[in-house]
Amino acid sequence: MSSAFADIAFGGLFQGSLYAMMAVGLALVWTTIGVFNFSHGVLMMLGAYVAWQLIEIGLPAWAAFPLAIVAMGGVGWLLQASVVRPLIGRPNIVLVVVITTLAAGSLIENGALTVWGPRSKQLPSLIAGNTTIGGVGVSLHQIAIIVITPVILGALWLFLNRTRLGLAMRAVAQNEDASHLVGLNVTALYGLAFGIAASLAGLAGIFIGGYRFMSPVMGSDPLLKALIVVVFGGISSVSGPIFAAYLIGFFEAACNYYFGLYWTPTLLFAVLILILMVRPEGIFASRSRGLA
Amino acid sequence: MTDAVAPAIPTRAVPVSPGRTPWKHEAIGFAIALLVLALLPLFIGDTYSRHVLIMVFIYAVVASNWDLSLGYGGVFNFGHLALFGIGVYAYSLLTKLVGLDPWLALFAGGVIATVAAVLVTIPILRLKGIYIILVTFGFAQLVMQIVISQSAITGGTQGLVRVPGLYWFDHNMIRDGKFAYFYIALGLLVASTIFLRVFVRSRLGAGVVALRDNEEYAISRGMSLVRQRMITLAASAFFTGMAGAFYAAYQRNASVDVFGMSLATIILSMVLLGGASTIYGAIIASFVLTVFGEAMADFGAWRPMITALLIIVVMLVYPSGLVGMIRAGWGAIAVRMKRTA
Repeated sequence: MSSAFADIAFGGLFQGSLYAMMAVGLALVWTTIGVFNFSHGVLMMLGAYVAWQLIEIGLPAWAAFPLAIVAMGGVGWLLQASVVRPLIGRPNIVLVVVITTLAAGSLIENGALTVWGPRSKQLPSLIAGNTTIGGVGVSLHQIAIIVITPVILGALWLFLNRTRLGLAMRAVAQNEDASHLVGLNVTALYGLAFGIAASLAGLAGIFIGGYRFMSPVMGSDPLLKALIVVVFGGISSVSGPIFAAYLIGFFEAACNYYFGLYWTPTLLFAVLILILMVRPEGIFASRSRGLA
Repeated sequence: MTDAVAPAIPTRAVPVSPGRTPWKHEAIGFAIALLVLALLPLFIGDTYSRHVLIMVFIYAVVASNWDLSLGYGGVFNFGHLALFGIGVYAYSLLTKLVGLDPWLALFAGGVIATVAAVLVTIPILRLKGIYIILVTFGFAQLVMQIVISQSAITGGTQGLVRVPGLYWFDHNMIRDGKFAYFYIALGLLVASTIFLRVFVRSRLGAGVVALRDNEEYAISRGMSLVRQRMITLAASAFFTGMAGAFYAAYQRNASVDVFGMSLATIILSMVLLGGASTIYGAIIASFVLTVFGEAMADFGAWRPMITALLIIVVMLVYPSGLVGMIRAGWGAIAVRMKRTA
């Protein structure tokens, strides 16, 4: 019994951390710009490959990982400038951005396939080695993910709530017109939001690449999960999806344990549909849109 | 913007509002296009080209029906491909296990997809915009998971093979160079397009657009959101399901790939590249994307990249898609002709 509990607790924390890392970037872009970035999964994949490439040319992991994350910020900004910014102000922006980000994602994905080939690769773990907690064998890499994720998310919360720049971003999310009026550089803030989101996606890619084999199509499944987490948690805030990510992580871990891997996705979707019927705005949502 | 839960999806009045183009003009254009398509097999003899055209017709049916719910209805129905998949599996199971006549099964595919669409409408009646994506997407995943888990009946991830094909009296459907299948597919597209155009030009279609453009006002004028949304989704499901059934009959197999993200992405790009809320745009884009993709078959991995780049460029320059592009081009020609005259 204690083993079952440890299994579920650990599995839930681990999956929840990965989902939170993916979902928070998606939520950041949605809350500030009001569009869904369907290339978010591909950005995650690219982050992992950039890190792999940096290590391949001889950089140590402690330098390659941060460098890759910074580079992904640049990629995110570039992506925003090329396929999102020109469309801002267009009446059907939500739909058009769906297709432009999907297309950009396909472009990057196939580009990665051409550059790096379809052969699976793997990143070094954040920390090598294994240990046992409560009778469950776990790798230190997974422990590192469980520890680092809340730290990063906490830092993001501090940034959004305690710094001038973060407050400016929340202001843009709440009221774009008023932000223009008080002289905020809305375009730059949009770019920043997208850049941070891409960096977080890159970090998630490094997390996943360290314990699973990487392939150019590795981003599509996490993107779908992140999408579910974001809508489930309520798209009006950044904190809602984070709670939802852990909740879904635990739910999946429990389902895996009691009903088997086979039924978990079916159960998850059935429960999600039911909950959305009762609370259409997500379980943790408040009535207003803003970065809290 | 301040107290909105999610930003409403602002949409501008559609360029093609009911009654804009006189229906006679439209009927003439339709007849000419139909004639050209119907005569194509006489000039195109090889099986491969005919196969590409059949796929174009199937995609065009699915994409143009999606345009009804997504473009006209403004309902972010991301489970549209599940309706297609339901058609595929309904046909395969009915013909293979029950032994139903293939033509009846083709029709049944459409009916079952319509019933499924009505069922999925129930949970999304209270939802708005982006939330509908999750529920409809969840519905698609649910259908896929059920198909996979009931592998004793559906073949699971292996799929079903040797699904019975369609027949036409004593005509040999396999050795005629896809002649018969070409005309059946074309017939399906024609029936679907006439249905869709009549629907969106009718009062009912005008009501659907009214609810999309200004929900509060439309409701205050006595329109039922529930009824209209259900009708829109059900209407978009019938021919989608039939297209799925036809796809199964034509390919002679069924696989869970039809529920996958890649097919959904392709069809969605057809809807949006063509220009949402036009019906014809989706059909034109199906043709352009499919033929373009086949023409670049030698480019390997560069093919999807070029396609993606093309989609981005068109969407940035002409947000109303290929139809907007054609309109702009036509407008420029008309101006020039007037000047010279």
